[in-house]
Amino acid sequence: MKAKKGQVSVMMGNAVTATVAALCRPEVIACYPITPQSEVAETISSIVADGKLDADIVEVEGENSAMNVCRGASLAGARTFTATSSYGLVYMYDTILETAGFRAPVVMANVNRETPGIHAVSSGQQDLISTRDSGWIQIIVENNQEIADQLIMCYRLAEDYDIQLPVMMNYDGYYLSYLNEEVEIPVQEDVDAFLAPLKKQPKRPVIVPGAATGAGTHGMEMGYVEARYKHWSAMDRAKKKVDEIDKEFGDYFGRSYGGQIEEYKMDDAEIAIVASGSAAGTAKDVIDDKRAAGIKVGLVKLRLFRPFPEERLIQALKGKKAISVIDRSICFGWKYGPMCTELKALASSIGNVPILSYIDGLANLDITIPHIGRVVDETAAAAEGKAYQDITWIPLEE
Amino acid sequence: MVIKHKWIFKTEAPWSDANEKMLALDTGGWRTERPVLDKSLCNYCGLCALYCPPQCMRDKGDHYEVDLKWCKGCGICAHECPRKALTMKPEGDFANES
Ligand code: SF4
Ligand code: SF4
Repeated sequence: MKAKKGQVSVMMGNAVTATVAALCRPEVIACYPITPQSEVAETISSIVADGKLDADIVEVEGENSAMNVCRGASLAGARTFTATSSYGLVYMYDTILETAGFRAPVVMANVNRETPGIHAVSSGQQDLISTRDSGWIQIIVENNQEIADQLIMCYRLAEDYDIQLPVMMNYDGYYLSYLNEEVEIPVQEDVDAFLAPLKKQPKRPVIVPGAATGAGTHGMEMGYVEARYKHWSAMDRAKKKVDEIDKEFGDYFGRSYGGQIEEYKMDDAEIAIVASGSAAGTAKDVIDDKRAAGIKVGLVKLRLFRPFPEERLIQALKGKKAISVIDRSICFGWKYGPMCTELKALASSIGNVPILSYIDGLANLDITIPHIGRVVDETAAAAEGKAYQDITWIPLEE
Repeated sequence: MVIKHKWIFKTEAPWSDANEKMLALDTGGWRTERPVLDKSLCNYCGLCALYCPPQCMRDKGDHYEVDLKWCKGCGICAHECPRKALTMKPEGDFANES
């Protein structure tokens, strides 16, 4: 470990995001406030206003413009930062697609909240799911310390010359955005040092005033195919890169998260629970209790959702006797939750075992210890060959 | 997968040289009309060049000249010209020119 001990304090998730984003020295920030993200926009604005960060804040009239500003600035070579949630995320939908297609390495914090349709000012991952095919790298974090650390890693990932993709860091609205937790904020020199390798890489092309270059040029026919293939390939490369950056971060700062997935007590586990976000923290406690009661259960915390960590998941889950996936969102048109549906695509590689889908924690309904306890018990029963329900909406059975 | 395709973009992201190799289709082939300049009216303000969507107005020092390889005949230059120095003429008028 090389990093100096940072300031340890009790901080709200949103304050951590703004504070650490500033340490990454974005040059252009455009951030429209929306619940439950607003403190991110407010705090980073005051950091700049106080002269603690030399950045241009572009005041926009909405999220669509915020993303357009970030993409433009990014294509001009600037490091950018924005944050949003729910309605804001879908209001910038066309522009997030363009940002990805243009390969602009914008970093955005998305504070997860239910999406329009049913107006719910409450937590849920439906906004993340609604943008899963946008071409962005999507990462989900569990707690406030992970917000701090992953945000720094997001810049290393997005701006890496081999990647050049926008990265969306997701964390649960309400549960983390407004949660106060002990967090160590890295010192500026260490953040600078961790991001310094980017400066040694070849320079990506940027817009130069007066030069006649086309950025994100519409590729007709084979130009389109080529741009899509390159983007698709970069997404594939991002998987290993996430692991490498996480390892490097661990070596430098003494904290690491497993990269694409975090495996908790998986080595000797006979059954596995797959969860993400703050619910994964609760799941770890449940797993400790269930292990004390003799059930060999482990947790796979899904950190990288796009690209989907195919190889790592197969490696972690192969040979397990039953698997349950807890989704905090709905997949309209499929029977199972979105993450469960994706996991089922790997079934032929994992093995012919029961995969149980659970929907829980919608609209700020807690994914409680008893809920996860139930999931573990039912997974254990399924592993023993007992009958099981393949899809369960937990709150409806309460 | 064996890729036979010859890469079009030199860069990882879809960046292109808009002077010649902008990956638009052969936009010149879309044209049914072309802008014709009356040099006596032009004061070289540059608005036509600024507004031209495929950016095919070439700076000639005292006026702008349309590059017919890319001009799609949209007429925006003629519409924007404050001095009405550009007139859109049907392509048929030039049918006998090479
Ligand atoms: S807009 Fe009209 S006046 Fe101005 S440069 Fe073009 S042709 Fe000439
Ligand atoms: S007609 Fe359209 S494409 Fe042609 S020079 Fe004028 S603005 Fe450009």
